[in-house]
Amino acid sequence: MVERNEIELKLQEANRRQLLQGKIDRREFLSRSMVAGLGLAGVGVASKYGVGPAYAAEGRPLTPTFYDWIEGLHPGIPGVNERFPGINYQIAPVQGFGIERFVAESKKSDSTWDVYVGQTPFVEMTSLIEADVIEPWDNYIPADVIDDIIPSIREECSVNGKLYNWPFLLDVVGMGWHSGVTNKAGLVDSAPATWDEFLDGANTIKESGAAPFGATFDAHGWRSVAPLAHSRSSDVYTPEGLFDFTSDAAVEALVLMKKIMQTSNPDILLSGASDGGVNGTPDEVAFSTQRVGYYVKYFNAPLRMAQYWDDPKQLHMGPLPKFSGGEGSTVFWTTGCALFKHGQNKEKAAEYIKSLTYDRQIWKDSIAGTETAHVGQLPPYSSIYKEWGETKPDWMLPFVGLVRGQLDRAKAIDNHLFGLSQFQIGQPFWEAFLKGEESDPRVAMQNVTDAVRAEMNRG
Amino acid sequence: MLEQDRKYEANTPQQTWFAKHRFSIIRHAVINLFMLIILLPLSWVLILSIKSLPDSMRGQFWPRKFDFTHYSYVFENIKTLGGNMTNSILVTGATVLLTTFFAVLAGYALVHLKPWGKTFVFTILLLSLYFPTRVVAIISIYELQDFLGLINVTSGLILPYITLNLAISVLIMRSVFQLVPHEVIESARLDGASVWGTLWFIGLPLARNGLVVVFIVNFVTAWGEFLLASTLINDQEARTMPVVLAAAQGGMGQWAWPRIAAVYIIVVTPGLIAFSFAQKLFFKGLAEGVVKG
Amino acid sequence: MDRGAEIIIPRSVGTAREPKIRQSISAWIFLIPALTFFVCYQVYPIFRIVWISFTDFEFLSTEPANWIGFGNYIEAYNDPLMWKSMGRAALFTVMFLPGTIIFPLILAILVDRVRHPLLATVYRLILLVPALIPSTLVFVLWKWMYNYQIGPINYMLVEVFNIFTYYNAPQWLGGTNLTLPSIAIMEIWWGLGYHAIFFLAGLASIPRDMLEAARLDGANEWRVFWHITLPRLAPIMMILVVLRFGTSMAVIDEYLIFGGFNRGAPTYTWTVYMYDQAFNIGLWRQGFAAAVGMIGAAVMVFFVAGLVYIFRPRG
Repeated sequence: MVERNEIELKLQEANRRQLLQGKIDRREFLSRSMVAGLGLAGVGVASKYGVGPAYAAEGRPLTPTFYDWIEGLHPGIPGVNERFPGINYQIAPVQGFGIERFVAESKKSDSTWDVYVGQTPFVEMTSLIEADVIEPWDNYIPADVIDDIIPSIREECSVNGKLYNWPFLLDVVGMGWHSGVTNKAGLVDSAPATWDEFLDGANTIKESGAAPFGATFDAHGWRSVAPLAHSRSSDVYTPEGLFDFTSDAAVEALVLMKKIMQTSNPDILLSGASDGGVNGTPDEVAFSTQRVGYYVKYFNAPLRMAQYWDDPKQLHMGPLPKFSGGEGSTVFWTTGCALFKHGQNKEKAAEYIKSLTYDRQIWKDSIAGTETAHVGQLPPYSSIYKEWGETKPDWMLPFVGLVRGQLDRAKAIDNHLFGLSQFQIGQPFWEAFLKGEESDPRVAMQNVTDAVRAEMNRG
Repeated sequence: MLEQDRKYEANTPQQTWFAKHRFSIIRHAVINLFMLIILLPLSWVLILSIKSLPDSMRGQFWPRKFDFTHYSYVFENIKTLGGNMTNSILVTGATVLLTTFFAVLAGYALVHLKPWGKTFVFTILLLSLYFPTRVVAIISIYELQDFLGLINVTSGLILPYITLNLAISVLIMRSVFQLVPHEVIESARLDGASVWGTLWFIGLPLARNGLVVVFIVNFVTAWGEFLLASTLINDQEARTMPVVLAAAQGGMGQWAWPRIAAVYIIVVTPGLIAFSFAQKLFFKGLAEGVVKG
Repeated sequence: MDRGAEIIIPRSVGTAREPKIRQSISAWIFLIPALTFFVCYQVYPIFRIVWISFTDFEFLSTEPANWIGFGNYIEAYNDPLMWKSMGRAALFTVMFLPGTIIFPLILAILVDRVRHPLLATVYRLILLVPALIPSTLVFVLWKWMYNYQIGPINYMLVEVFNIFTYYNAPQWLGGTNLTLPSIAIMEIWWGLGYHAIFFLAGLASIPRDMLEAARLDGANEWRVFWHITLPRLAPIMMILVVLRFGTSMAVIDEYLIFGGFNRGAPTYTWTVYMYDQAFNIGLWRQGFAAAVGMIGAAVMVFFVAGLVYIFRPRG
């Protein structure tokens, strides 16, 4: 009798989940509940009504949800899904909505999805941990996979020694140039080693008329202030994990930005674009219209923009230039996978993510490009690079070695609840210097720090 | 054409043709200027949708090289597009019909049935337009839909959609019914018509114009709604057009400008065709006028 | 024939000839469907905001919220950003509201007098075309139009008319001083045909005989417009002004898309501030954001009361 009650409860639970997922309507829910409640010959009758299989499969199939751009840029994902029959692959409701739905469900100890692919540690991981939405992967990820993650990436994805982000797509900030433009300007076809060379080259491009603009960057702080500061020193974080805007490196980065702006497209600070100002920024337009020679951004941007060129082969990429005497570091981040605390199929999810992140077809497409996309996002595992080092695939491109080399010098932006928003709050204040409204870069940066501090002290 | 003008200017036969028609010519010139302003940006999109990728990143209106593959590209890459389109049409259609129906009832009642508390109802409807429901409405609505078991049910979207413009629709119908003379309603009632009969046979025909407006207001909102649709539906095939298209917005990777432009044309065309067919129904009332005598 | 005259007669004759209570009950039956939806999806969320605004509710926090009385209101009231961002919204409204009423009104009056059936239909169809475009795509379109480097507007200014170069061309979107007017133009474009349809509906309800009678009496076109057409359009105009005032003060998607979260940008209005606090910064202080919203709503209601008074039915 006790046993049967338990089965009834489980059936009822399976019913409820299906109802919540919209798989059955309320009427069916009620009739199924009655069947379960009456315990009519137990599971036999219930399975006739379709509850049995749902119960057997722990309520539902593996349900991953992806940020929509990932599928678009990585056409190999359906191939991975084919290896997981019955998978319920979904696109996440995160655009314009953020992580609200995830949090709202979590408050009811529920989750429609098992795993979210699209989390960036410094952007939303801390929020998801604070809101108790996600849990660490440590109990599910195989030990050899943990060991395979490149150490700096593992550090980026961990909080208190627990891995909250299973890394998938690696982006590193570096530079690209249009050899059609630089050749016309009479520059040597190699990456400028220092920022001084970079600025000289940019000036030459503009003055020679090879292109209207010399160099450009993305004005969002985490894509400009932070990486440029890292190229001087990556020791620019406060003990609590905020970006130290008043550090020498950050101030020098700001001064450098102003110098680059002398040669750049005038709309460089107008980051207004869709997707919360993340894509379609002015630098991307300038580079894709072949109006600028040098370009500082994460490597996938120049690759994607070059598809608009008359000859995409004129794209070349190199590491971020250094300050003389600088550390020569840069910024990297990964887009990875979060495990929902109240999701299901956690072992299965780990199996799926392992399969996804090791999928050689995805990496080949990302590096060599397909008809539709050329992203150049790279894997987070040492073993894959080792494999490529031992037997170089015929589709391999030189930028992969370059990015991999940069990664060893790069540092991620520290994880913090204000990891992303500190750059949004601070932007108008450092831009006051870039626009000439404030002549002292240190004062501008102090204002940034004060504004961020003021926002954190609220409430 | 233009009998009306002729009537006024017929008493000056010595005028030249141009002088006679100058008002009409100026009027049509101004109208066409407005039409041009409306259509130019859209024609730019149309051209963009058949430009080659490099040409799309040049300012010139006319491309050096045409590329007609963007349309097939869209259909191949958004496999659920047909289904999403159907979802949009069904949800929008149901929303428009139901909201209009509710708004007609409520507007009519507020003006001609004079219920107790009508000023209160009117004030609350008006005030609701100014509350920032956006802050938490989405969470409240999510909870409500979850409670009703309507998460991931496409037709479940109709419920919150009805409310999006309900207040304004009721207010529109209210002001339209205010234009219908009370005596007309009264005399019909005295002749023994029921409340429903009076509304259906007397009130509604006189309020046709308001119906058109309510129709359009609700169509526009429901057809383009993104936030709720994106939040409440999980499966790609159960989603509506705007959500599926939003992915294309950022111009990321494959979603180059000409391809977004192709999506654009694909979205606008069915609506345009639908309106071409519906226009007889819509504009007949407008053109004839309600109280033409 | 003279029903037009009847309409202007105040509706004082309409006395109830059946028991008031019965009529009231049938009236409420008519109101119930609309009010049910209204209460569930509109009133309930509003009450929720009001409640939240008196607490220190943080969406991402796992701690329960505490009642803090007017704490959030006091903080918002003393916050310079609150009033600065409110001012920006008001500035946009001033740029947008007159244009979005006057241009469609002119257009509607002109189109209303087109008697050729085919032309009249084609014009009306074209008017509706922008309304068929989902809002997200309207924003994409104008992002293209205003693009600094390859947008058709700057292309015309630089390459065709040579007024500017690519070093000094106008920077439309993205948080410059031109951004609010640019968005206003976009919104006016979007509402041009759609609002004209509103006015056409109003114009159609004016009896032609009334206009002709006035003209025969020797009234010129201006007087006919001022004394007959305009008063008859007042209810429609009120609806539009009241509706558009609300939407233009509370614009948000456009600002998020064209200006992001840059607090220095003119697009950082109180709605963006509210959104920023509620969904972006820290633990998402929705209690405070709700208070910002309530203050915004109070300010708007104050002005709307004035607008309603201006457009109140007369006669």
